[in-house]
Amino acid sequence: MRTFLLKRLPSGLLVLLLASFLVFLILRLIPGDPATTLAGPDAGPQAVAAIRAQLGLDEPLVGQYLTWIGNLLSGDLGPSYAIGGQVSDLIGNGISATVQLTLGALLLVVLLALPLGVLGATARRRPVAAAVHAFTTAVLAVPPFVTGVLLVLLFAVTLGLLPAGGHESFLDAPDLALQYLLMPAVCLALPSAAVLARYLKDGIERALAEDYVRTATAVGVSRRRIVWLHALPNALPSAVTVLGLQVGHLVAGAVLVERIFAWPGLGQLIEQGVIRRDYPVVQDLLLLIVAVYVAVQLLTDLAYAWLDPRIRWE
Amino acid sequence: MTAFPAPSAPGLSRRALLRGGLAGAGLLTLAACRSAADTASAPAGDAASPRRGGVLTVGAGVDFTPALLFAQSANTLVQRLVFNTLTRYDDKLQPQPELATSWQVAPDGASVTLKLRDDVLFHSGRKFTADDVVFAVKNLQNPVRSAQLRSTAAAVTDFRKNGDFELTLVLAHPVSNIFDLFEFMIIPDSASVEEAFTGTKLIGTGPYTFTDRKPGSSITFARNEKYWNPGRPYLDGVEVRIVPQADSLLASLKTGQTHLSYSIRGKDVATLKSDPQFRITSYDTGAGAYYIGANLTGEHVSDKRVRQAIAWAVDRDRLVQQALGGYGTVSSTPWPKSSPAFSEASATRYHHDPEKARQLLKEAGLTGITLPFAHSNDPGNTAIAQILQYDLKQVGIETVLQPTDSPTMQKQLISQTMPALWTLSHGFAQLHPATLAVSAYPFNEAKNSSRFSSPAYTEIVQKAWKRPDSDSPEAKALYQQITDVLLDEQFVIDLAIAGLTEVAGSKVRGATLNKFGYLNLDDAYLTA
Repeated sequence: MRTFLLKRLPSGLLVLLLASFLVFLILRLIPGDPATTLAGPDAGPQAVAAIRAQLGLDEPLVGQYLTWIGNLLSGDLGPSYAIGGQVSDLIGNGISATVQLTLGALLLVVLLALPLGVLGATARRRPVAAAVHAFTTAVLAVPPFVTGVLLVLLFAVTLGLLPAGGHESFLDAPDLALQYLLMPAVCLALPSAAVLARYLKDGIERALAEDYVRTATAVGVSRRRIVWLHALPNALPSAVTVLGLQVGHLVAGAVLVERIFAWPGLGQLIEQGVIRRDYPVVQDLLLLIVAVYVAVQLLTDLAYAWLDPRIRWE
Repeated sequence: MTAFPAPSAPGLSRRALLRGGLAGAGLLTLAACRSAADTASAPAGDAASPRRGGVLTVGAGVDFTPALLFAQSANTLVQRLVFNTLTRYDDKLQPQPELATSWQVAPDGASVTLKLRDDVLFHSGRKFTADDVVFAVKNLQNPVRSAQLRSTAAAVTDFRKNGDFELTLVLAHPVSNIFDLFEFMIIPDSASVEEAFTGTKLIGTGPYTFTDRKPGSSITFARNEKYWNPGRPYLDGVEVRIVPQADSLLASLKTGQTHLSYSIRGKDVATLKSDPQFRITSYDTGAGAYYIGANLTGEHVSDKRVRQAIAWAVDRDRLVQQALGGYGTVSSTPWPKSSPAFSEASATRYHHDPEKARQLLKEAGLTGITLPFAHSNDPGNTAIAQILQYDLKQVGIETVLQPTDSPTMQKQLISQTMPALWTLSHGFAQLHPATLAVSAYPFNEAKNSSRFSSPAYTEIVQKAWKRPDSDSPEAKALYQQITDVLLDEQFVIDLAIAGLTEVAGSKVRGATLNKFGYLNLDDAYLTA
């Protein structure tokens, strides 16, 4: 396992380095800049130049990049230009909200996908299988912002059961926090749950067509036992890979969902950073997301290797 | 975060019923414990008299940007909660006391003497004195502060103190809009101004103290127990919640999570008009105006007749009805009705007359031209651009829409690199008219995005600005001359005047805005 991990690590680090370079460059290529944004609509060139110098944006690009990476390696994420305060504090505050949302959604993905996948693969009656298929198709086809608005209209505006938006910390008031979390988590989870359910369904169907299933059936093993103890475990490795990829989708989808539900997570922070051209916030956050992707991918590979010994012997 | 009540009575029985029904379906635990949608935070009592207590929730579409603390921007709601200004205008644009108790403008207009309150404390406990006014003026003279009224602040060349609570501002020349500065300029604590500028510490003399900020989510304030205005404020605190998505903000108001907002789009306000749950107040100060800007170096629009043709081609009535939900007044000048520069004849000079537009284009020898047309890429401004695009097409002007994000547009405005046409909104016409032409960028006589420059325009603007008075017949004659230049040149093609619209839940009383959109909650309270 250790050798397997050591083989995977360098490529992960290379991805991070390339990502840092690209993130830095792309931000500089988009029009508009922090100085003019901060100067306001009525500023003259003098004010813009003064602000640019104050932020160090008059330095050559290579120097700016090296300063950023240098500070990052020494643990200093720097100050935010527009939002105010230190980027580390902003990320610290946003990360707990996003982790709550992503973990909540991830839990829902698994809880929804497992029964849907099994039901889709094993339903003996055609209408049940068709209903599962229709549900996953619909959930995939409707974008999260539509789902979000529909959920708010139904559960907040019409029924008054759940708050329309906002956030509460689980540490301060877990009961309220759960109510704030429910709609955004469902909204975020549905498309990923549909994807995972379909993979599981296909995996289970493939496993059910194997010879050993026929043998097991012949010797009188119950169908339920075959599905849950034999077919499902065989379908799991590829589903875990998909789940790993879905974590990335969940983090990316959070940008939109957080906006709909005024959820103060990293998605909101990235959006605010981009709108105001707050370079340090956007650079640090995007790199963090790439790092999360890389780490999740690494963990997925490890989990895969653990589930299927052939992989780690390659 | 504090949670607030959902709409009451009509939905209760149904909600209770649904709760019962859904309990078995897994929502039991949620319904059984506290409800985030039902937690109330209003004091007991009736609506007749002001009540102490409660936390007011204000929904804002844009987050607070500390670096724009001293500028007018979309986030000026926060300024007047923590800080005070020297004076504040009444409805007739007459200054009223705030931190300054009285004032005397010298007969030659070259100085202003202010008497200040002697019972004011900063939230840090330090006493407010004349030195703080000196600091506030110098702060606005600093280019890094991005303040729009810098030209007026820069006209203050010297300070003469007469004790701790009286001082004279010496001016380089008479300044007709000096009280605009006194309404605009918040008085910060000099010791913590840099922290205020980065949003970590906000210390002023205002009715509320800054308690917490969660960027992108909320900013909260508590009552200043040592406020100089006795018995005020009534509220225990204020929470400004950031809800950037327009539909979410509307839902948040409808569910009672948000008590008050100025960020609801006109067409959404129209849907709330008949709902007794809300009180809608339009601020007729005309703090904002929609316009089409023309870059005079652009192809075709350098010809005045083309710009005038555009002014005749647009259907302002339709724009106000369809894009602003009726919350606006059609106008071909920037001035709202409350302005001393307003005249009905000028405001209605251009109206929808496609035939006249075609005639002017024909005179210019142009038929079937195509122009680039930039607009903000948000849904509201995109709708406006599309309406204008249709109108222009009817007279033979094809436009290529260029949806642009705000920072890019800002850069283009400042660097004078806008395309031939663009549409945006501007402010500053709600004040003394000279302020528009010396501080609002589209009209600035020295430098504007249209690259319009004319010695005659500069002369009239400077004359209007450098007067000791702002309401005399002579001053008004100068404003008319400014208006005539604007109507003739059409480098800014005004379309409609729209002020801020307040949507308040039925429990909210006493919230007001000043001319710059600073939220004043000194007298605000929540009824039962």
